[in-house]
Amino acid sequence: MDTQATPEPTKLRASRANLPGSASTFGAALPFLALLAIGVAFPLFGGGYWGVIATRACVYWVLVSGLNLVVGFAGQIAIGWVALLTLGAYTTSVLAAGNVMPALPPYLALAIAAPVGAVFGLIVGLPALRLRTFYFAITTLGFATIVTQVALAWQSVTGGGVGVPGPVFPEPFASQWGFYYLCLGLAAVCTWMTANIAASRFGRALTAIRDAEVAAEASGIAKPVLLGTVFLFSGAVAAVAGGLFAALQSYITPDAFTLDLSVLFFIAILIGGRSSVLGPLLGTILLTVLPEFAAPLVAWSTFLYAVLLLVIVLAIPGGIAELLDFRNRRPLESDRAIVPQPLLVARLLDAAPAAGSLTLDQVGLSFGGVRAIDGLDLEIRAGQVHGLIGPNGSGKTTTLNVISGYYAPQRGAVRLNGAALPALARHLRARMRIARTFQTPRIVGSASVLQNVMIGGTIHGHGTFAESLLSLPRHWRDEAMLRDTAMLALATVGLERLAPVRADRLQHAELRFIEIARALMLRPAFLLLDEPAAGLSVEEITRLSTLLLAIARAGTGVLLVEHHPDLIFDVCHHVTVLNLGKMLAAGRPAEIRSHREVVNAYLGG
Amino acid sequence: MPISAADPLLDVAGLCSGYGKIRVLTGVDLKVGAGEVVALLGPNGAGKTTLLRAVSGLLPWSGCVRFDGSDLTGCGPRDTVKRGLVHVVEGHRVFTQLSVLDNLRLAAYDLPRSEHAARVEEVLELFPEIAAKRRERAAWLSGGQQQILAVAQGLVRRPRLLMLDEPSAGLSPVLVDRVLVVVQRLREAGTAVLLVEQLIEKALALADRVYALARGSIVLEAKTSEADLPHRLEQAYMATSSRPG
Amino acid sequence: MVESIVLSGTAMGCIYALVAVTYNVMFSASRVFSFTAGALGMLGGVLGALFIARMGLPVALGLVLVLVGGALLGIVTEIVAVRPVLKSLDQHLYVLSTLALALMIQQFTAIQWSTEPQPFPRLLDITRSEFDQQFWLPMLACAAVIGGLELLYRHTLIGHAFLAIAEDNYAARALGLPERGLRMTSYALAGVIGTLAGFAGGEMLLAFFANAPMLTFYGFVPVALGGMGNNRGAVVAGLLLGLFQQTANFLVGGIFASVAVFTVFIIVLLARPEGLVGAALQRRV
Repeated sequence: MDTQATPEPTKLRASRANLPGSASTFGAALPFLALLAIGVAFPLFGGGYWGVIATRACVYWVLVSGLNLVVGFAGQIAIGWVALLTLGAYTTSVLAAGNVMPALPPYLALAIAAPVGAVFGLIVGLPALRLRTFYFAITTLGFATIVTQVALAWQSVTGGGVGVPGPVFPEPFASQWGFYYLCLGLAAVCTWMTANIAASRFGRALTAIRDAEVAAEASGIAKPVLLGTVFLFSGAVAAVAGGLFAALQSYITPDAFTLDLSVLFFIAILIGGRSSVLGPLLGTILLTVLPEFAAPLVAWSTFLYAVLLLVIVLAIPGGIAELLDFRNRRPLESDRAIVPQPLLVARLLDAAPAAGSLTLDQVGLSFGGVRAIDGLDLEIRAGQVHGLIGPNGSGKTTTLNVISGYYAPQRGAVRLNGAALPALARHLRARMRIARTFQTPRIVGSASVLQNVMIGGTIHGHGTFAESLLSLPRHWRDEAMLRDTAMLALATVGLERLAPVRADRLQHAELRFIEIARALMLRPAFLLLDEPAAGLSVEEITRLSTLLLAIARAGTGVLLVEHHPDLIFDVCHHVTVLNLGKMLAAGRPAEIRSHREVVNAYLGG
Repeated sequence: MPISAADPLLDVAGLCSGYGKIRVLTGVDLKVGAGEVVALLGPNGAGKTTLLRAVSGLLPWSGCVRFDGSDLTGCGPRDTVKRGLVHVVEGHRVFTQLSVLDNLRLAAYDLPRSEHAARVEEVLELFPEIAAKRRERAAWLSGGQQQILAVAQGLVRRPRLLMLDEPSAGLSPVLVDRVLVVVQRLREAGTAVLLVEQLIEKALALADRVYALARGSIVLEAKTSEADLPHRLEQAYMATSSRPG
Repeated sequence: MVESIVLSGTAMGCIYALVAVTYNVMFSASRVFSFTAGALGMLGGVLGALFIARMGLPVALGLVLVLVGGALLGIVTEIVAVRPVLKSLDQHLYVLSTLALALMIQQFTAIQWSTEPQPFPRLLDITRSEFDQQFWLPMLACAAVIGGLELLYRHTLIGHAFLAIAEDNYAARALGLPERGLRMTSYALAGVIGTLAGFAGGEMLLAFFANAPMLTFYGFVPVALGGMGNNRGAVVAGLLLGLFQQTANFLVGGIFASVAVFTVFIIVLLARPEGLVGAALQRRV
């Protein structure tokens, strides 16, 4: 047994400079500041024509920054987002020109376009919650076409094919460079806001939905609410970009809003890399500027974008962001050992109120004609490790899935302290402090180890999306709290040295322990483990055993679905044996071990 | 059946395999001689199915696998079938949209067209219960009949070694016996069989030798004629790092 | 007037149905959808106009060359955009790679061929009538393809092999079926069907690069409504789509017809994401 003195709290606050997700670091902000400086100084060395290009890049980036949250972070294939640009452009122009009502000042028109864009962003985006990836992509394309068609047809308002003049902003933004600074300023604000979200629990939750949806649900993340919020924001920002676009063009017609433009936005994000703000920013600048360098390229620009996209997808799926990720090129130590510190468990779980009991009460569930679970009674008591064993097909994992809300019991009920758990409400389990791990580790590969663990504590944050957007104090308190708790959890499982490393570089055994650290973030009353020993070495299994016993001693009730004899006999206080969905035997490990029928069922025969 | 230890038909040494980052097999040594029936037993999660998948080329592996004297490195399932090593996968998976005849003809896909009819008839003679249903869609067969069809598919290529993954799974005792009679017949005909089974007693009754796989490697190898096998197997499985095996 | 709507609606419906079948054949072979289905349809018209009208080749030869081109493009899709992506863990990448390829085809056509719709030659030397060839050629093509596929799947060994791969890829591989070759052949077949759709419908659609995004969308609607991989469902849904669209065209005009089609599509899809009929081939558990 490892006997280490509990490390000083200060040591656990690992040097902030090395941690990803801390937007306070100067190093992370430097590239953005450099770009801003270039942008501010641009009029000094760029001519009139390049001024238009630069303004256009800023306007595009305003839209792409918002779309980045949808496509890059949340992973939704929204190809037709030009629909929002069109909407914003026409709303602003029509209101400023006075076609429908008395002309409004351009700022007001722009301000009205934002909520209109938000609503439509939600409408275009919501099908993502119901539809498969490809289907959703097609529907967004359809929206883009529809909006353009409507602009063409609604002649009384939009001027039809003839078009409508764009808004003209008053001094100091009326001149070319004045307008450029307006767009640059808005682009900078959007960069700041989206970078804030990226480094917040919302940004991490989006990547969890994208790459590890079941883990996101188990951590309490509600996909519809989060995606809805992001669609609202992204739509609003795209509409503002539309208004600026109309002003830049000074006159808009429906054929200014081509599918090519939509493709440009989408590809800029993918070339830039997902889960990054800097990457898509560079991507947008690149794609706006590239065709200007050679006259023939302008005609071929969309073709080249497509070639670039194909190359990125096949060769560097991580995009520019992956190329710029120098930190993760450093080699890792090869003989890494996972050394949990069980003494820290008490500190991690100390603030937790006492668990009660989690019981299965004559639970029954059938798939087709097969009874997966047949009248099962089970009780998981606080402070004990309860093992669940049985041959393949006996219903072990199904039982775990019923408790965690993936299946609804057809007979009987799962009860927490007597009250029946709502069936199928997977993401509510986290709030009830029921945490779980998975048979195959569900991890966000492109995020760091620390970010992955912080995802586990998402629901403990108090700040709203808007507070994170605007970098308000509560956002910072949340981040500090989550970061400190996550470091403590990582130290508990023995992986704190790997905190800044990209999770997909880690070995299988390390990923299993990370899942446990993530689950511990919830300070669970009940911890459900699905074959945690699979793929672990003998040494690692011993350490896992010590850790699990410490977790139980701290008051958590543990359900352990396992094959491995070591874990079952050394760790469990109580064992239930399943066969064909029914309980075959239950009792202490020693009793089970010598039970003839159990041995036969477990071994087959 | 004499065991030719000198020249095993299948010779596996130091086999490692798994799924992505998850290592399941950590150095397996196993031999099957020509005409032998070898049982592969072990608890769930030990890696028995993984072992068969690696040998037949469905999974990438490292180590050494030789069949009939030649190295199987880089061979996919199509190559191993051509060499005479056939893997009947777990779960009586047949193509439900097609008839029994068509299922069997697909098994003969790589053979010359002229031989298809003859091979299919040859196999149907061994299995009268599905011969009677030759034109029916496989979806209408019972679980046991589907399992028999799956084994029949394996036999169309006249394999020298047939690997069967839990042929009794999900079947009633009567059907289990029916399927295992087939294995008996194969052995009489000189086909070697590597049989993964959950039903220890039945497997031991049928096999010449047995291997026990636990925690990714072989923990026991014995002839089925040896005494006290069930007890020794149990000890081998339940052995933990802190208990004597 | 009603006859005109029925004729054009059925003809367009057949074209959409054929593009839907293209999607389905690719899907059955690989479990992914490819954006190149619409591009193939477009190329059927463009290449047909190129070979027959511009280069003056005889119609039969032109057709053969177009279909060969389709097959080649199908194979390119499989090798370049699908196969590399199937190996990776990140499933959504196929959307991007096939999108990229489809865009490349579309833009290349726009630049090299023309950005304006070009006329498509009259294929058969018959005088115009009400039941004109521009209407019954697509219908004939659709019937021929559906009949041909039935024959293929029911009565040929390779057709059975396609069904096997689609139903249970793992068991098919274990049995020793040449999975990769069969997938490539499926994609070649899909390429032929897609270009045939564009060729038969050339007179109606004209040789126009922008047919690609249009067919990508309208060709997918029958897939979504009829159920993934379900060819019969796709044909029924395609015909209904064609008729609905032409009716709406007549009643409210072209632009609002698109809005109508799209709105109905979204509503049906949100109500029943699996389509009206549901997937044809259930994956084995």
